[in-house]
Amino acid sequence: MSLLEVSGVKKIYKTRFGGQSVEALKNVNFTVEKGEFVAIMGESGSGKTTLLNILAALDKATSGTVILDGMDVGKIKESQMAKFRRDNMGYVFQDFNLLDTFSLEDNIYLPLVLAGKKHAEMKSRLDEIAEPLGITNLLKKYPYEVSGGQKQRAAVARALITGPRIILADEPTGALDSKSSDELLDLFTKVNQMGQTVLMVTHSTKAASHASRVMFIKDGVIFHQIYKGDSTDTELYQKISDTLTLLAQGGDLK
Amino acid sequence: MNIGLYPKIAYEGMRKNGKLYIPYCITCILMVAIYYIVHFLAFSGVLIGIPGASTAVQMLGFGVYVITIFSAIFLFYTQSTLIKGRKKEFGLYSVLGMNKNNLGMIIFYETIMTWIAAIFGGLILGIGMSKVAELGFTRMIAAPVNYDFRISTDSVLHTIGTFTVIFLLIWLNTIRQIKFSSAIELVRSEKAGEKPPKANWFIGSLGVIVLGAGYVLAIRIQQPISALFGFFIAVVLVIVGTYLVLIAGSVLLCRILQKNKDYYYKTNHFVSVSSMAYRMKRNGAGLASICILLTIVLVILSSTSVLFNNSEYCLTVRYPNEIGAFACTYGYDENLTDLGERLDDILYEAAEAHGATVTNNKTYYTYSISGYLENDVLQVTLDSLSDMTFIDYDKVAQIQFIDVGLYNRVFGYNETVEPGKAIVGTANDITLGDTLIIGDSTFEVSKRIDDRIDEIDPASKIAVSPTIYMIVDDVEEVAQNYIQYQDYNGEPMLAWYWYCRFDTGLDVDGQIAVANDLSAILNEELGPLNFTNYYCDSHENQRTDFLSTFGGLMFLGILLSTIFLVSCVLIIYYKQISEGFEDKSRFEIMQKVGMTREDIKKSINSQMLTVFLIPIVFACAHLFMALPIIHKLLMLMGFMNMPMLVATASVCVVICAVFYAAIYKVTSNAYYKIVS
Repeated sequence: MSLLEVSGVKKIYKTRFGGQSVEALKNVNFTVEKGEFVAIMGESGSGKTTLLNILAALDKATSGTVILDGMDVGKIKESQMAKFRRDNMGYVFQDFNLLDTFSLEDNIYLPLVLAGKKHAEMKSRLDEIAEPLGITNLLKKYPYEVSGGQKQRAAVARALITGPRIILADEPTGALDSKSSDELLDLFTKVNQMGQTVLMVTHSTKAASHASRVMFIKDGVIFHQIYKGDSTDTELYQKISDTLTLLAQGGDLK
Repeated sequence: MNIGLYPKIAYEGMRKNGKLYIPYCITCILMVAIYYIVHFLAFSGVLIGIPGASTAVQMLGFGVYVITIFSAIFLFYTQSTLIKGRKKEFGLYSVLGMNKNNLGMIIFYETIMTWIAAIFGGLILGIGMSKVAELGFTRMIAAPVNYDFRISTDSVLHTIGTFTVIFLLIWLNTIRQIKFSSAIELVRSEKAGEKPPKANWFIGSLGVIVLGAGYVLAIRIQQPISALFGFFIAVVLVIVGTYLVLIAGSVLLCRILQKNKDYYYKTNHFVSVSSMAYRMKRNGAGLASICILLTIVLVILSSTSVLFNNSEYCLTVRYPNEIGAFACTYGYDENLTDLGERLDDILYEAAEAHGATVTNNKTYYTYSISGYLENDVLQVTLDSLSDMTFIDYDKVAQIQFIDVGLYNRVFGYNETVEPGKAIVGTANDITLGDTLIIGDSTFEVSKRIDDRIDEIDPASKIAVSPTIYMIVDDVEEVAQNYIQYQDYNGEPMLAWYWYCRFDTGLDVDGQIAVANDLSAILNEELGPLNFTNYYCDSHENQRTDFLSTFGGLMFLGILLSTIFLVSCVLIIYYKQISEGFEDKSRFEIMQKVGMTREDIKKSINSQMLTVFLIPIVFACAHLFMALPIIHKLLMLMGFMNMPMLVATASVCVVICAVFYAAIYKVTSNAYYKIVS
């Protein structure tokens, strides 16, 4: 059984006065296996953030099901939702979403504190991940004192610390310069190699080329996908570029 | 650039930020109104002529200073948080090509507009409220009601002057803030993320020390007359201390709590402690303001209502019997004793003519002399009392000589006193040795009768300066020793007092009739003589007077408390709304990270509860520390009952707490609505 099964997901937005409705997702079907690093690519407005929000249970699908490790995300009660998200998913946002009232350390602890964990346990979990993420020296600092790349690494640590089944990343490199982006993507690769499942939404070819599989979304459906297989990042980059060019030309890949 | 543009931009800017500017303007208006009312009551003389009001007037007079300091600090703080939210807008203007002077103009117009609204609104409100106060007050004390609007020009000018200075300072401070930041800093200021508040050990501990000093000063003040200045210093120390403690001390406390890992990393504490550190840095001043307003309310309410509750006791002390009469003249006259005896008989007859059965008759006369009492020596020399402005009231004492024969006859004892000796008693808290030197004569104390002073005059224990009763062998002989002493006006220092009180067994109307009759007789007998003061009144008649006086003060207290509480409500509302906007994004993030709505609600509640308990806890502490000095000040109005003061203060605390909790509930809903 796959870790994540998405079948027939549809999302229709109604304008405020109920006039026109916009179909953000038409019919999305895919699965993610445990230990995969999947990138979902698409133009702005192609529905990729909507999809991610539905996967993260931040938003409800109009129809269709999302099953994470056997649990139907859409059927979880509103009151249990936050707890479900906290226990099963790590979310990395484009704009970091770190709280400026906390030091980086406390920001990373936040989900564990909410889960009611003991400080000693939190500390040992943080020690495990701080080193590979390269944030050991930054822990006592406050978000306003560090760079964007460092903030995003702290945000990744916050997503990782609960030991989630899947990490969902929404344009994680969107607010970073190219050097920080590279570092962060290497980090995702490293995390993935440690066995963590990662699902990333991006419009950056560079970012997508780090994934083990790239899915393309257009007009609310999964249009195409490429497996990395044995190719290098550079080769995958090339394949993605070609695909994107074709997509832009409206060519038929099938 | 078109001059008319600036006022327009300023106006639009304020209108668009109405949610914050309207509460701010209302706060300004209230501050002005409060200042006017207090100034009006203190200096316009409306309260003059009401017994006991002189202390109230004095307190209000220094209340004006307290309010000035308070409004300055508070408006400064409020305005600076307001302008923080608008820096982005100013940044945008400067990116679009305005220079610092242009921005200064916009801020100038904004300040002017607020100033106009505050002064006009505040004065209109203040004048209206002061009229209500005056009407209510005159009704309570049964004075003729005057429906003319009385406006004190002096108070109006003072109000305008004070607040113009405050607004000028606020304007300069805003200019300073804008001047020292570049356009891009202004644009980014909102996004820049705030520095975490540093625990400032110096200011934090300074606050604790200043507050402690204020408390110690308040507790240590001994004498009510010299107390007022000390009280003022204590109040200023406590106000400053409260601000320092709540701004710096509380951040310090949060930092210390954060060091305790097991406490800090709990779901309940984690979010609240860290955001409170921020909150206190930003809003410590707001909390301190709420705390000070609450303290003022508690002090006013408890002292005026305790006086009202106590008026019956006060009445009993002043008029222990149904009928009371008094007469006083200066100098020595050998015929006075005879006059005393004769008055006695006349009054008796007159009372009995009304069908009264005279009982409990305690009528006596004394010779009295006052001076500085130090080390059992009473100085009645001209020097010591010549200059009225430098009188040290703490040392003044009054000696009353009573003839032993008269004392035995009236109070039913069988005492004997040898010449040169005296039976001595005082109900006041002073120490006396075995020998007393009064003027040039020395008296050996043969016996102390401190526990019997209530029989002689129950009111002596609530007198401002201590009274020492001396039962002597021959009062005529003793009195003659003091004939030569004169005060700075050349009047004799020696005084003859005649006290008369008895019960009649008549009903209320009968008592009042007797008293009126006796009053007329006194007028007839003593009018032609050289008497400075004489009266006769009944317990029942005085009851109305006492109730109306203290009732009037209580009305005043309730009125002032209401105004202060209303401004308190506005501050709280303002605080909640502005915090709500600040916290909105923070709670959005927390929700994304996995905080449930319930967690958020719980965290908000625990935060707000703590933040909101702080002012009332501090206010209670302030009130508690102020009780001794309030008690001493109330003694000037004849109040002695400490347990009753404590009880009344507690009731006031409960009432305020309930009211406060209601405000808290309503405003926290407003906050929650913004956040979620």
